Amino acid sequence: MILFDRVSFSYGLCPILDGLSFSIGAQERVAVLGGSGEGKTTILKLIMGLIKPDSGAILVDGEDITIKCEAHLREVRMKFSLVFQEGALFDSLSVKENVAFCLREYTKMSEEEIDGRVRELLRVVGMEHALERMPDELSGGMHRRVAIARSLAAYDPLMFLYDEPTSGLDPISADMICRLILELAGGRRGLIMVTHKVSDALKVADRFMFLKAGRVLFDGDRERLVRSTLPEIRMFMRELECLSPAE
Amino acid sequence: MKSKELVAMLQDFYLLSFRGLTGIFRRPFYLKDTIEQMDYAGAGSFLIILLVSLFIGMALSLQLSAELSRLGLKMYTGKVVGISIIREIGPVTAALVFAGRVGAGMASELGSMVLGHQVDSLRVFGVDPVKKLVTPRLLSSLLMLPALTIIGDAVSLLGAYYIAVYVSHQSGSVYWTSIRDVLIYENVVAGSVKPFIFGYLIASVSCFMGLTTRGGSVGLRQTTTRAVVFSIISIIISDFVLTRILLYLLGFSV
Repeated sequence: MILFDRVSFSYGLCPILDGLSFSIGAQERVAVLGGSGEGKTTILKLIMGLIKPDSGAILVDGEDITIKCEAHLREVRMKFSLVFQEGALFDSLSVKENVAFCLREYTKMSEEEIDGRVRELLRVVGMEHALERMPDELSGGMHRRVAIARSLAAYDPLMFLYDEPTSGLDPISADMICRLILELAGGRRGLIMVTHKVSDALKVADRFMFLKAGRVLFDGDRERLVRSTLPEIRMFMRELECLSPAE
Repeated sequence: MKSKELVAMLQDFYLLSFRGLTGIFRRPFYLKDTIEQMDYAGAGSFLIILLVSLFIGMALSLQLSAELSRLGLKMYTGKVVGISIIREIGPVTAALVFAGRVGAGMASELGSMVLGHQVDSLRVFGVDPVKKLVTPRLLSSLLMLPALTIIGDAVSLLGAYYIAVYVSHQSGSVYWTSIRDVLIYENVVAGSVKPFIFGYLIASVSCFMGLTTRGGSVGLRQTTTRAVVFSIISIIISDFVLTRILLYLLGFSV
């Protein structure tokens, strides 16, 4: 579904991705790991066409999205559901209005229908009690859950993209978000989760990519990740060793 | 800043301000957002415009009365105050206050939305951020600044009247007759065209600065400062250019 072909990207003079190439199938569950500033979030933005690469091609279902204009990118974006780090809820709108945003924008549903759909989506993410709350009254985990509900409102995505969905959350909230991510993906939809928390990545993904210096340093399954001897990956795996009671 | 970056920035600015303006005539129409912005820009700026205009009118009347009375021309206070306020000081004062309050607010709000990925969220949902965010702000500025200018002019003239009559001991009827003489077509047009241009410039500059915010809270501070500074500079320069053009078009000899 997604193919990166020698993609390079830089912010000003600072190179982020350096000839990055990989492909991801529609039903794969992929975790993109790496340190801060390694270009994990940049990959998600490139997939959505929010930024253009300096060079290389990005193919979504065979179509090169780097040459598409903003108006034509909408079709591509509707294939995905992107949940930004910390949710990116519209802070001037209540939880209900945030989730109803796309419904009002793209459907001709009546107020009763919108209200019913919003309640249904919020029930899925366990947030129906916060209908009238404003985003600044929500905790980090609640933010993420409402953002997930909002991303599901208007259309049925083929693949979910999550940018650090569990960063800054307590273990219980992080676990709840991971379970929700898995539930929503089910067996039929793929996901890409960008994170630097290996423990959360292991809960949701079955393929792991590790970015270093703008390139893929490691790409493999759970077993290969756990057994990897690469020092950068070992450093990340220490998080698991700390969590393990046997260690 | 390199010349290439400057040219690219100017190009982006012109494109944004043009697309923001043409968005007024294209669907979808974000009526609720426009009304919210009109409330923020118009009703929210009402009191500060009243206060500033009142004291500017009073100060101007005080200065002119003192100077004209030395020349024995005190009866011309109303005429000079009227022309100054209606043609020049009223529109420029309202625009500067508007830039400081509304322009800064627009830039910081949009900047904060950019940094919080809310603008990216709009794009992800297929919503044009220019249409959704810029056009309502542009339209509200185009409508509210002229209205505030007219109100500000009236309050300035009242403040000037108070000083002329109760401090400078001039005749109230002479003052209002002078003002009525000043309210001719040419002066009213010269004074009412400017706020539309100023409103457009303030909203365009502020929205552009807001949407190009980078770099966290420091970037947001720079954005807000730049929005106000560039708005003020564009108001002052365009005021001179407009005055020159309007004087020529309306047949005034210099």
